[in-house]
Amino acid sequence: MGAKFRSVFDIIGPTMIGPSSSHTAGAVAIGRAAYKLFNGPIRKVTVYYYESFAKTHRGHGTDYAIAAGVQGFAPDDSRVPRAVELARQHGIDIRFVEEEGPSPIHHPNTAVLEVSNDNHSIELTACSIGGGSIEIRQFVIDNITVQPAGPLPIIVYIDHGKKHPNAVELTGVVEKIAPFYRKQSLKGPINDIYEFDIKNYMSAATIQQIEKQFKNVICL
Amino acid sequence: MYNSIKEIVTAANETGKTIAELTIEQECQLSGKSRDEIWQRMTVNLQTMQAAVQRGESGRGVFSQTHLTGGEAVKIKNYRASHHPLSGDVMMAAVQGAIATNEVNAAMGVVCATPTAGSSGTLPGILFMLKERLSLTKKQMIDFLFTAGGVGLVIANHAGIAGATGGCQAEVGSASAMGAAAAVEAANGTPEQSAQAMSIAISNLLGLVCDPIAGLVEIPCVKRNAIGAGNALIAADMALAGCTSKIPTDECIMAMDKVGRGLPASLRETGIGGLAGTPTGQAIKARIFGNEV
Repeated sequence: MGAKFRSVFDIIGPTMIGPSSSHTAGAVAIGRAAYKLFNGPIRKVTVYYYESFAKTHRGHGTDYAIAAGVQGFAPDDSRVPRAVELARQHGIDIRFVEEEGPSPIHHPNTAVLEVSNDNHSIELTACSIGGGSIEIRQFVIDNITVQPAGPLPIIVYIDHGKKHPNAVELTGVVEKIAPFYRKQSLKGPINDIYEFDIKNYMSAATIQQIEKQFKNVICL
Repeated sequence: MYNSIKEIVTAANETGKTIAELTIEQECQLSGKSRDEIWQRMTVNLQTMQAAVQRGESGRGVFSQTHLTGGEAVKIKNYRASHHPLSGDVMMAAVQGAIATNEVNAAMGVVCATPTAGSSGTLPGILFMLKERLSLTKKQMIDFLFTAGGVGLVIANHAGIAGATGGCQAEVGSASAMGAAAAVEAANGTPEQSAQAMSIAISNLLGLVCDPIAGLVEIPCVKRNAIGAGNALIAADMALAGCTSKIPTDECIMAMDKVGRGLPASLRETGIGGLAGTPTGQAIKARIFGNEV
């Protein structure tokens, strides 16, 4: 199992635009995870907030933070505060729903995102654990439900048409350059999904190497 | 990765290295990045902090969109220039830097989260005061941030740094403990004294609630960074004087975790209880967002 916080820069950092690291910077990170997992033009986003997120999202700027993330912006991008308008200008229908009940994953800073276009939809359940760090507790792609350990980084591989049983080659590479503490194999009717919980943060070079060598691999 | 403050103190005593150095070595090992790369990244964080403090202290200061907060770092600056502050000029210098940073945060400016945005003023308040007081070099300032971050990682992993899970003790309380440990090291105290300062700082802010009015990071967040900075300096001075906490730091962190879990949701960043629940707090919320939220 990995620690939740694994870098001194989780504690001293990120450099960000306010006002809240958990409700703004962390929310950008949740939106970005959905953007990467969706991996295509987004037309509709529905955000369901729970507990502290439901009560304080307006004051904390959580709405524009998630909108920024689903457009792929970084937490210190100057467009972050205008991201809801920008999303709507770019034809993304984005809505925010305050849920009354408890978080489905028992964390007060929980957001569930449904992201779709005409052909494709995903669902992501994540929480913001403080200082801009997040955990991804569940996502659904192609009707396959995946429950990672939570802390990032996470590597996701979608094997379209089940052409690479058990993702042998990818597993070998990941094991070598980004050691993991858990691998999950999830079988769908048409596609398989493999998920790796990685021990330490990956360098940009490592991410680039994996994404270049393998198609349909997403590094979160 | 160091799993406790005790492990850090033991390693520092055995190797004769500072907590800053141990943290840099740990980061190299965990991230696979070079020392230069890590040093450079922390330098950028330091520059961000410095820019935020300067912005908050310049001219009339900065004001948030709601105008609930702003301009008070400048008031403190002017007061310091014309008076002898009751708690001493050094103390108010730290408070000034802390308030300046959080006023910039509330005004949607760029800050470095230390460990969070809501508590981003505490550490710079202490650091830029110490820079003048102890004539710190740039290297010593960056070491200060590594020390603070190294001990902060233990707090984050064993108690938490989110107001929604642990109350403000997890944010300003953590920042204050980190600052206390780093201030001791900057003043050439021992690793054990850094740990004692952390224990004292945590103990003194145990139970601090997170009660933001209208769910904004303004009232009381901005001024709570003043107590974070002040408490850190008091705790650091007490530890340097040889005072001890009696309760080991790791147990103080455990207590902080348990207290946080025991806080009702109304006092954990929901904008319901505490100051947010006062008639004036509710009236401010209604004025800003209407009654529907």
